[in-house]
Amino acid sequence: MSDTTLFKVTIDNISIDVPAGTTILNAARMIGGDVAPPAMCYYSKLEGSGGKCRTCLVEVSKGSEKDPRPMPKLVASCRTTVMDGMEVKNITSPKVVDARAGIVEFLLLNHPLDCPICDQAGECHLQDLSYEHGKEGTRYEFQRRTFKKHDLGKYIQLHMTRCILCYRCVFAADQLTGKREHGILDRGDHSEIATMIEKNLQNDFIGNVIDVCPVGALTDKTFRFKNRVWFLKPMNAHRDCPTCSGKVTLWNRGEEVFRVTARKDQWGEVEEWICNECRFEKKLSSDWTIEGPRLIDRHSVISQGHYAGTVGTNMPTETIEAVLNGRKPKLLMDIHEVSEVNRPHIELSKINGPAHSNNFNPDND
Amino acid sequence: MGRKLLLEKAHVEGIRSFEVYRREGGYRSVEKALKTMSPEEIVEEVKKSGLRGRGGAGFPAGMKWSFIAKPEGVPRHLVCNADESEPGTFKDRYLMEFIPHLLIEGLIVSSFALGSNATYIYIRGEYAWIPDILEQAIAEAKANGFLGKNILGTGFDCEIYVQRGAGAYICGEETALIESLEGKRGNPRIKPPFPAIKGVWGRPTVVNNVETLASVVPIINEGGEEYAKIGVGKSTGTKLISACGNINKPGVFEIDMTISVEEFIYSDEYCGGIANGKRLKACIPGGSSVPILPANLLLKTAKGETRYMNYESLSDGGFATGSMMGSGGFIVLDEDQCVVRNTYSLARFYRHESCGQCSPCREGTGWMEKLLYRLEKGEGKSSDIDLLWDIQRKIEGNTICPLGDAAAWPVAAAIRHFRDEFEWHVSHAAEAQTRNFGLAHYADPIHVPA
Repeated sequence: MSDTTLFKVTIDNISIDVPAGTTILNAARMIGGDVAPPAMCYYSKLEGSGGKCRTCLVEVSKGSEKDPRPMPKLVASCRTTVMDGMEVKNITSPKVVDARAGIVEFLLLNHPLDCPICDQAGECHLQDLSYEHGKEGTRYEFQRRTFKKHDLGKYIQLHMTRCILCYRCVFAADQLTGKREHGILDRGDHSEIATMIEKNLQNDFIGNVIDVCPVGALTDKTFRFKNRVWFLKPMNAHRDCPTCSGKVTLWNRGEEVFRVTARKDQWGEVEEWICNECRFEKKLSSDWTIEGPRLIDRHSVISQGHYAGTVGTNMPTETIEAVLNGRKPKLLMDIHEVSEVNRPHIELSKINGPAHSNNFNPDND
Repeated sequence: MGRKLLLEKAHVEGIRSFEVYRREGGYRSVEKALKTMSPEEIVEEVKKSGLRGRGGAGFPAGMKWSFIAKPEGVPRHLVCNADESEPGTFKDRYLMEFIPHLLIEGLIVSSFALGSNATYIYIRGEYAWIPDILEQAIAEAKANGFLGKNILGTGFDCEIYVQRGAGAYICGEETALIESLEGKRGNPRIKPPFPAIKGVWGRPTVVNNVETLASVVPIINEGGEEYAKIGVGKSTGTKLISACGNINKPGVFEIDMTISVEEFIYSDEYCGGIANGKRLKACIPGGSSVPILPANLLLKTAKGETRYMNYESLSDGGFATGSMMGSGGFIVLDEDQCVVRNTYSLARFYRHESCGQCSPCREGTGWMEKLLYRLEKGEGKSSDIDLLWDIQRKIEGNTICPLGDAAAWPVAAAIRHFRDEFEWHVSHAAEAQTRNFGLAHYADPIHVPA
């Protein structure tokens, strides 16, 4: 391979030499920090992913040494390869910053913003994205699109309303499982992730779609509503697994293992895929050999308390009744409608302190 | 009376049959091309003719052909884009329905030029009866030795297959068409790689519009230089225009691109003037996705010159005061038409047809539709107009395929030229429900700075 050819690329005035064939996004990730554009759909481990969410748009102000013309449009950095002498503007280009804010607004347009009851909150890429690149409010004044709940089997919950259609789970299921598991139905803003028709997702590695999902559209049924991720302590652990590497991150609270995920790198991407047995079945500390605490490189805005000081300056004037079409729930959203774990007769407001899975344990009824 | 190259024989009795078509001089170009010319010579001839893609973008066809990669041992394909779904455009349908052998003839010559042994016609699903016509024509051509193995004893093999779409506008975009042709969901691919390098099944592919491929026939028959003499400037040859809307004679017309827009609308040879004695208010000159123009800017450019029916003149002034030739769907609006309603109707179309792959188009088209619906119903706010402007600006250029642009341009142009009509829908909300804005000043002569 002629991979030894190095191309010099300058991103936000920082130069780096990268092998030919590298994408702008990966070159920017080599530099790191704020220079790396956000990516909601690109996943380096999934072939064919990227180009869809448009959050990684950058401006190419100089095409290459040979052809210094700038590119006429903003380009998706995850799918554009670098040329020698290319100059790219990411956060230094007002055009990019403006376009990206627009993309964030588009992505949040039909997103329910039900973070208070969403399991992904705290490790949600969309939360991070909108905090880092979005505006404080939306100008959308219409009803958001919603979907009926689909049952994808006993492990995975699909909450299509939250989906941003990044196609990652489709690629993951295609590439990890060898046969087509699910796809997209319909077109446009009413298109949805679905199995044909209402089938279960059944495969040893299908649990990984939960890890690749950037939002809370695919969640782990064994963990749903059990705990907030920022109360949990991530620990590196491994076990001798016959199907996968067995290297996982355990999310503990005290001695209790709340959930098991694959280990994710600083870009939120899975390092090694893990099997369903490790992910869903092994929920005892005794199943695992603990290696030590897992450092999460890419901190969520929630776990860092970044939200402090942002609320209060621009309070919405609408009442909750107006937003919810006249309904007056005690909670912002009635959790019993969406949860299989919770017992409907347990009044959440009567529980002292944060709700714990013990509160919902059938033995305590 | 302009020259007709494509539709000259379209109304000869029985022209759909091979015998009549052949008697009228059909398939001459196949004999000439396969027997006396090399593929390179044909490409050169098409380049010389200055033929521009008739599907909408107007990219020079010969140039496109010369980009096709020619790796050893890899088959190449020609795909005919008959997924004509642009609202207002129905020229390809006319051509395929009345004179199908012209397309088949053009396809054989083009396949020879590009080295395609398997050529596909991707036709939109709504044209339910046309595949039968085409397949009949293909079978006749094959029976007479113009298709199949060893065509006319030259050793060139070519098969043409007709593939139906399933009813999606997006499949007219060439990479989405290729995906759909391969049997997948019709999502546009991310370019590069372009189809000329990796198209159908990863093989080099050229995708051309029906009219473009049919135009190859007169180019070969008469020579590229002769063809280039017709028309004006870079708009060579003849162009099919499908005219519709409030005109006396809607239909498909073949023009030689030297006539003025005014002549096209008012002359009896073409549209025959505005129906019911009304006055012209606005026009979308090239199919629904090109910018709409008010009457005064349609007939004269911003410089006060006469506007002609060709690529350059229609786009004179850029998007600020011009429009585009597009695919030739000429939609005329008279003084009784409401531009807000028209724009809403287009926005609804694009919302319905967005593939949903990339976020600006998926979410933005729906948002624009809702805002326009609100404005049309008289429930809008004046800030909605600015919001629409901002949304279209954020969609345009930020999407994978041109559908995002196509959805943004009509909205942008409507606001740019008809902003007072939008504002009237807000300020006179109740009145806007009972009557239309009318012609207002849209036909007034524009001030031309000296």
